[in-house]
Amino acid sequence: MSYFDQKEPPRREARLNACIACGGTLEHIANRKMSCCQSDGERSFTQNSICLLLPALGMMNSIPNSVVLMHGAIGCGSSSHGGNAGVRAGNNHRWGIVKDATWISTALSEQDVIGGGEEKLAAAIREIDERYKPVIIFVVASCVPGIIGDDIDGVAQQLQPEIKANILPVHCEGFKTKIWATAYDAVYHAIGRVFLKEPADANKLNQPEKPIINLMNVSSMGRVDEVELERLLKSLGFAVNVFPVFSQPDKMAAVTQAQLSVSTCPTHDDYLLQYLEEKYGIPYVLRHMPIGIENTSLWIRDIAKHFAIEEQAEQLIAAEEQELKAALAEFRPFFAGKKAFVSAGEFRALATAILLAELGFEVVAVRSFHHDEFADNEYEKLVKVTAKEIPFNIANCQPFEEANLLRRIQPDIFLGHMNGNATAAKSGVATHVIYNVGLQYVGYKGAYELARRLYRQLQNPQFNQKLSQWTKLPYSNNWYEQDPFKYIQQPEVEAGE
Amino acid sequence: MSNYIERPRYTCALGGAIATVEALPRAIPILHAPPGCASNTAWTQAGGCGLQVGGYCGGLSMPGSNVQEREVVFGGTERLEEQVKNSLDVMDGDLYFILTSCVTEVIGDDIGAVVNQFRADGVEIIAAETGGFKGNSYLGYDLVLQSLWKNFIQVANKPVKGKVNLWGVPPYYDVFWRGNLAGLRELLISLGLEVNTFFTVDDSLDSIKQAGQAELNIVVSNVYGVDTAQLAQEKHGIPFIKLPLPIGPSASSEFIRTVGSALKLESVLVDSVIYNANQRYYRLLDPITDCFNDLDLQRYAVIVGDANYTEAINRFLIEDLGWLPQVAVITDSLYQEQLEELGRKIKPLPSGLQPKVIFSTDTNDIRNQVKEYWNTHQSGYGKYLNPLSPSFVIGSALDRELAKDIGAAHLSVSFPVANRAVIECGYTGFSGGLRLIEDLISTIIIGR
Repeated sequence: MSYFDQKEPPRREARLNACIACGGTLEHIANRKMSCCQSDGERSFTQNSICLLLPALGMMNSIPNSVVLMHGAIGCGSSSHGGNAGVRAGNNHRWGIVKDATWISTALSEQDVIGGGEEKLAAAIREIDERYKPVIIFVVASCVPGIIGDDIDGVAQQLQPEIKANILPVHCEGFKTKIWATAYDAVYHAIGRVFLKEPADANKLNQPEKPIINLMNVSSMGRVDEVELERLLKSLGFAVNVFPVFSQPDKMAAVTQAQLSVSTCPTHDDYLLQYLEEKYGIPYVLRHMPIGIENTSLWIRDIAKHFAIEEQAEQLIAAEEQELKAALAEFRPFFAGKKAFVSAGEFRALATAILLAELGFEVVAVRSFHHDEFADNEYEKLVKVTAKEIPFNIANCQPFEEANLLRRIQPDIFLGHMNGNATAAKSGVATHVIYNVGLQYVGYKGAYELARRLYRQLQNPQFNQKLSQWTKLPYSNNWYEQDPFKYIQQPEVEAGE
Repeated sequence: MSNYIERPRYTCALGGAIATVEALPRAIPILHAPPGCASNTAWTQAGGCGLQVGGYCGGLSMPGSNVQEREVVFGGTERLEEQVKNSLDVMDGDLYFILTSCVTEVIGDDIGAVVNQFRADGVEIIAAETGGFKGNSYLGYDLVLQSLWKNFIQVANKPVKGKVNLWGVPPYYDVFWRGNLAGLRELLISLGLEVNTFFTVDDSLDSIKQAGQAELNIVVSNVYGVDTAQLAQEKHGIPFIKLPLPIGPSASSEFIRTVGSALKLESVLVDSVIYNANQRYYRLLDPITDCFNDLDLQRYAVIVGDANYTEAINRFLIEDLGWLPQVAVITDSLYQEQLEELGRKIKPLPSGLQPKVIFSTDTNDIRNQVKEYWNTHQSGYGKYLNPLSPSFVIGSALDRELAKDIGAAHLSVSFPVANRAVIECGYTGFSGGLRLIEDLISTIIIGR
């Protein structure tokens, strides 16, 4: 039975054996094929983290003509205040119109917790359908409905006949998984299960002149990155359908009519791409992330191979690489030997680390938010371009381990996820955000733009250096003397240095 | 109460409590919650609090139990115990503050037992039950303050003359909290008082611990922190006064007078403080008089804000700046009696001017109601039109679409403030009024 026949997608801990706690060296994890850590591995001291609701909101808030209805306590979804800047910019970059996202909360109260919130939810759906006339209402369950037993799927199913909007129930109960990449599955699950048409109904009449490629973007790329990948794909003669962020609901159905689906990050997309293949017969490519020179070329080669246009692709790759390498030459002497520490989502961290090595940096430590099998190849690539004994850490944030590592390693530059650079900054290390949808990272152009920004950042790290002299991280002095992986409960893990 | 709130201009009790503990000097919040509550707070702050995230131990550096299904089924107190024990080793703080969440309250974990066990060992640790479903971030602020008064602040034998505490400005959810608290402290210092404001960089845990010595608690809000003041009165015997957030010379003069009378200060002193402060304010304002007039900088105004700001800004605009607020919107979700009280506060001021008062929690509803008001309040004949123009919206970042609709300038003051960087700026007191004038006018003339 397909996962999509169930109300909820499985946790990634179960589906992919994904894990979040490991510490050791890069060599320790490369070539180990998932044996490095166990999925139930945990820490006896933890800092807080991210739950799947947050990235899921990043996707849902971007969909035009949709309303995101949070079913939960009043605070769940307030992260949309942070995401809204990206929605405004995203709308502006695509259509020249600055427009806010519309999110709504059922604001479950103590009384609702006792009496149940389904009636309130049903009433809210009816009012929202009438008042906002959206094409989609995402009905999103956070923790409270998951505990008190509100059945969002039942409410959606019961109301759908009288509601004009498509009601898409999305399960984001934060206590159910520590792998927040489950967010992508949760949103894809709702779109695939409820919104996409049956194959027989999918409109096959308009045979396109050019083969269409689904370019998957779950909101980790801004428009500027999409443009770069479109440029490369178009130059090979393809039409591109970006999915699902900022996809107009009436155009979303086009995802079932492509000739190939291409992931830009294997952590994101396997759940939907398998479904599209099984149900609609659309093959997919999910292997490399187009960040870095070699990786971008590999990403193109996979697509070209599928359409048997390898020769054309090689010409494109050769020309692009030649031009990029010439452009990068001016930065190389400056970057040579500078030590870089990278921390982000697994694929992003690894691909960016490889890019940094390509730019001439010495990669001295890597942290990944989680680990699953899709990244095995990426570790093998990385270990070829960097030292084998460098510290490696799998951690869903946990900045205390990072602070400890930073003090030992003293890198020249740290690249961290959004909300993940403050520890390094207060440690006096030059920092650069590894993921910000306003900036360019992807493709050949992204490699150059990242180099340009690092060149700028490294010229004057005074902000962080002064900060480190006058601010203090909230850790005891004693902590820095301890093994950074002291609290990881895993008998077979080697102690880190 | 409606079945939903559109784009709530606050987060939950836990989010407010997190922000409040983050603002306490050298305090370490320990969340008993699923993993996402902290990041939800951090992203909310990044988007709504003028780019201010966290504090000494904020963002994702807060320790937490990260409860999962296992804890939901079997209970989470063991996990919490382990978490607290190890937090004491890793985290460097002077006060550890456990905050609970929806999940841990529904499953009924006994936090008190965990706290007592560590307190018995001499650990400075307290807790607040801040499940998100209990209310919004302003409630969370109140719950943290209540816990401080119950569990941390020492009961004094007798009050110390001239010592007062002040609160009512919730950290982060009043985006200008640091500046606002500092501005209020400045007013009170001018009366010769010693002031504890709890959350500024000039406060300390030691002084907070001694807060029970105050002879008066001052709450600059009709809503936020009022329950705490009642608790402090009951438990510590400290009387309190509740008065509006003072912005600009008229309100600040009244603030000083009210505090002076509550403390029975010499009227000569009070009068001279008020006189000197007004004189200073107008000497500073003086040089802008030419351009203020020449550029025709009076505006019709819409005010959209929380229970503190709407009343305060309305009063300043009418009484001091001479603007014309037409609609004043209060965006909090409040009880009927609180709404009525707030409605009464926006009464005709000495000048006799009064805006239409709207209570609404929904951004689109506010937008529609204000547009409706604007559309129905324009007169004229033939080619001669008299709309409410020029105009200005003083609200949150969410009210930019409204401002565009009615052709008004816009300044974000009330949460969420997505489009300004805020560090120390505040609008309270005399200096705060000047600051607000600077910001309003700078917005109007930005293209000059």
